[in-house]
Amino acid sequence: MEYISLFVKSIFVDNMIFAYFLGMCSYLAVSKNVKTANGLGLAVIFVLLCTLPLNWLLNTYVLQPGALRWLGPQFAEVDLSFLSFIIFIAVIAAFVQLVEMIVEKFLPSLYSSLGIYLPLIAVNCAILGGSLFMQQRDFTGIGEPLVYALGSGIGWYLAIVALAAIREKMSYSNVPKPLKGIGITFITVGLMGMAFMIFMGIQL
Amino acid sequence: MAQKLKETILNPILKGNPITVLVLGICSALAVTVQLKGALVMALSVTIVTGLSSLICSLLRNTIPNRVRIIVQLVVVAMMVILVDQILKAGEATYAIDKQLSVYIGLIITNCIVMGRIEAFALGNKPIPSLLDGLANGLGYGLILIVVAFFRELLGSGTLFGFQVLPASYIPNNLVILPPFALILLGCIIWVHRALDKDLQED
Amino acid sequence: MNTNSNVYTVIYTTIVVVIVSAVLAFVAMKLGPAQDANAKAETLRQMMSAAGVKPTEELYATNNADILQLYADNIEEAYTIGLNGEKNGDLSIAQDKIELISKLKPQHKAILAGEGATLPVYIFKGGVTVIPIYGAGLWGPIWGYVALNPDCYTIAGAYFDHESETPGLGAKIKDEPWFREKFVGKTIEWGEERAFKLDKNAEATGAPNTVDAITGATMTSKGLNEALNIWFKAYEKHFGVGAFFHALEEHAIEETNVNAEEE
Repeated sequence: MEYISLFVKSIFVDNMIFAYFLGMCSYLAVSKNVKTANGLGLAVIFVLLCTLPLNWLLNTYVLQPGALRWLGPQFAEVDLSFLSFIIFIAVIAAFVQLVEMIVEKFLPSLYSSLGIYLPLIAVNCAILGGSLFMQQRDFTGIGEPLVYALGSGIGWYLAIVALAAIREKMSYSNVPKPLKGIGITFITVGLMGMAFMIFMGIQL
Repeated sequence: MAQKLKETILNPILKGNPITVLVLGICSALAVTVQLKGALVMALSVTIVTGLSSLICSLLRNTIPNRVRIIVQLVVVAMMVILVDQILKAGEATYAIDKQLSVYIGLIITNCIVMGRIEAFALGNKPIPSLLDGLANGLGYGLILIVVAFFRELLGSGTLFGFQVLPASYIPNNLVILPPFALILLGCIIWVHRALDKDLQED
Repeated sequence: MNTNSNVYTVIYTTIVVVIVSAVLAFVAMKLGPAQDANAKAETLRQMMSAAGVKPTEELYATNNADILQLYADNIEEAYTIGLNGEKNGDLSIAQDKIELISKLKPQHKAILAGEGATLPVYIFKGGVTVIPIYGAGLWGPIWGYVALNPDCYTIAGAYFDHESETPGLGAKIKDEPWFREKFVGKTIEWGEERAFKLDKNAEATGAPNTVDAITGATMTSKGLNEALNIWFKAYEKHFGVGAFFHALEEHAIEETNVNAEEE
């Protein structure tokens, strides 16, 4: 039951795009049409799902103050949390590069459709943001970070596909010339964000 | 040479502004612009991180193995960010500001401006121009941040830098404080910018 | 030199990682004491603001060393208690031993788990007792300090802080002095299911243990309400004795009244 509530919460209430505005750069750059948005969205879900639990394990058993207790009582006081940024981002970058290599070698067809987005993901704030939020929220057990990662990924995916669909339609609208392109997109995302705020009142 | 340097510095602030033209580094532009003070510290931190990371990556540019390029760059950027974070935490005066910016200091690592300038400029240029390019981009970013924060603090709280500016009878607009309004404000800034500079308009 | 060979890549990455970790470890070690001093002074400022030692602005304008001195001058006794109200630890009143704000999170977990808590109690000269509270707001943790009068029943002052509540809305719990001042003179009804009520239109009921929620910051107010009640519950057995006498006293007054009427 808690998993379901966390799942729904991370998709709608704590939506990475509309509640925290994370991963905006690639969100705005790759939302010109639904097809590419779909590809990037799926890639984000996949990478979040793999790196977030990994970072949770690292955080719980290596980085947190006192996390190294399993090595022996003399390590109980060690606090490596100042390294967490660098470890998280290294895990994400290494993972992205690894996936890129594997996909290129074994699944060339998938690579041609998804591969170009993978390098973009290493610098997607939503991925690192997910790990940093995980650190703040102290999940218990590996299940919660997994569910949280899946939920946030799906939330991001929904947001980018929705924006891409709106932008496809909007290319036929008569927008003032200086506002055309990125200007009107900003305003659209702002309005979508306002609409999403209704979910904040939901209690789960 | 002097002409080129001037170009390097001025371009990111106006014609090639990282936020309004290149659309990079939006996340933090939205999150930290509720108050001018936070925006100013964020702008300074990003400027320092972009400048120094560009400098270091430019110094290393001929030695970095191509395959692990991104990881090495990220590690350098992350190091700079952690240094800034630790220094802010250690200063008596800056401690409160670091608390206010919390997660967003860490997210400078993935601020696309930093990585974007390293990839696009620092890896192909000498250290000094790279440093200037990084600093100038940080300033261009900071400029927009401060403009957005100015309007949000003025309309959202009736204050500037925490001092009451509007008369007490002004009822603060809560919509301005919420993140979606920052997006709409950015859209309007882009509108003005592109109305003034017709070269930037999209077809 | 071939910068793309495997050996070169591995050696290069290793060297970079070693250098970076060395630099960071060095900086973390060098700046650690200054950071700890900041964290400690911050905790003391919030505590003393609640206790009313000095006005909040003045405390924030005072440097770290003077804050430590001010605390040492004003503290009477400090100790920790367990969930059954028993004293289980001593926070020496010397300058250097307090429970930092960062320690509130593990304590909160201990309260929820129902075991292993060492909850701090700070008694200032003049009899004002300060206890912390901690909980979850809308975006992140919120915490604060509540100061009790010597009767351990009425509130003498409060200070709240948060990590990332919406500025201008939830952040008002910290930024607006009038919100803190609302708590002064209110009571904590030890022993009741909800010892304190922070809710929409709560003050309208006229009960002495109520404060109105902040308009527009529903979730933060709810979080603060939970935080107050969970922590008050944890302290109940410790302060409940005083409250029991207080109830007796009231009862006695009522009885006298009844007797007076009968006569």
